[in-house]
Amino acid sequence: MKKVKFFTNFDHEEQWLNEMARQGYALVGKSFAYEFAQVQPENSNYRMDYRIFKTRQDFEDYKVLFEDSGWTHIAGTKSSGSQYFKQTGEQEIEDIFSDVDSKAARYKRISDMWLSLACCFIPLFAVLISTDAIDVTAFIKPKLLYYTPGLWDMNGGQFWQAFLFETPFAFFRGFTWLIIPVMILVYAIFAYKAKKQYQNTQQGR
Amino acid sequence: MNRDKNLPLTETVYYILLALLEPAHGYLIMQKVEELSAGQVRMAAGTLYGAVENLLKQKFIQPVHSEDSRRKVYAITDGGREILRHDYERMRHMLEMTNTIMG
Repeated sequence: MKKVKFFTNFDHEEQWLNEMARQGYALVGKSFAYEFAQVQPENSNYRMDYRIFKTRQDFEDYKVLFEDSGWTHIAGTKSSGSQYFKQTGEQEIEDIFSDVDSKAARYKRISDMWLSLACCFIPLFAVLISTDAIDVTAFIKPKLLYYTPGLWDMNGGQFWQAFLFETPFAFFRGFTWLIIPVMILVYAIFAYKAKKQYQNTQQGR
Repeated sequence: MNRDKNLPLTETVYYILLALLEPAHGYLIMQKVEELSAGQVRMAAGTLYGAVENLLKQKFIQPVHSEDSRRKVYAITDGGREILRHDYERMRHMLEMTNTIMG
């Protein structure tokens, strides 16, 4: 079974995965969607870390360390960031972190990632503005976005047909660039949320 | 007094450095730390990984050649030995003072 869901909080994501396992769905993979296998309902302990690795060897060493300590690496790749683990051993330690600082640090890492993503789009946005690729007059005079000759002199059905036909094109012509500031904003919000969570975790909340 | 800004070391870092006087890989470090601390310091995998990463950045430990292709092996550096020695002196002084006053 596949399921698409989006989290900005690792603790909630872990709880959800454990809840899914109690209902008989064990996480087996994660790409865009979560992939679950149907199993006997079980009390599992899923935990998450957030790390991106420079080399394949670093990633291997990381996974082996967790396996040695009783955690199976379920999902995550060298550059996916999110790493999913499931407790296999009967060890006493029930978390992959043993102090609040390291538990909080994963939020710092994901926050930095969102922030750098947001920053990546800023120069692009600046270029669009400085080359006058963005036509702000479209907000004031959307009529200018319609290129059909004589459109505004047409009447009745003929007008509506031509108008509605061209509207999607006019919209793309005028507002596609909006995707960029929206993305910058969304990434910045994610970065802010993760930063807040980082501070909360550090203070033991 | 001009003291090294890395002092005092945390209990965990102190034990990791102590453990790495002999080369060891990640899981072995965790076991050694637990043993050296008489079971007081039990590190989880994610925490150890982050601690090792920081110590590498500070150049207190370094990767050394390993027979095991899957596990990286680390050992203390000269800088690491020095900071360990300084922290030891710091704590010894504290113990001496405590002993003198509390007897």
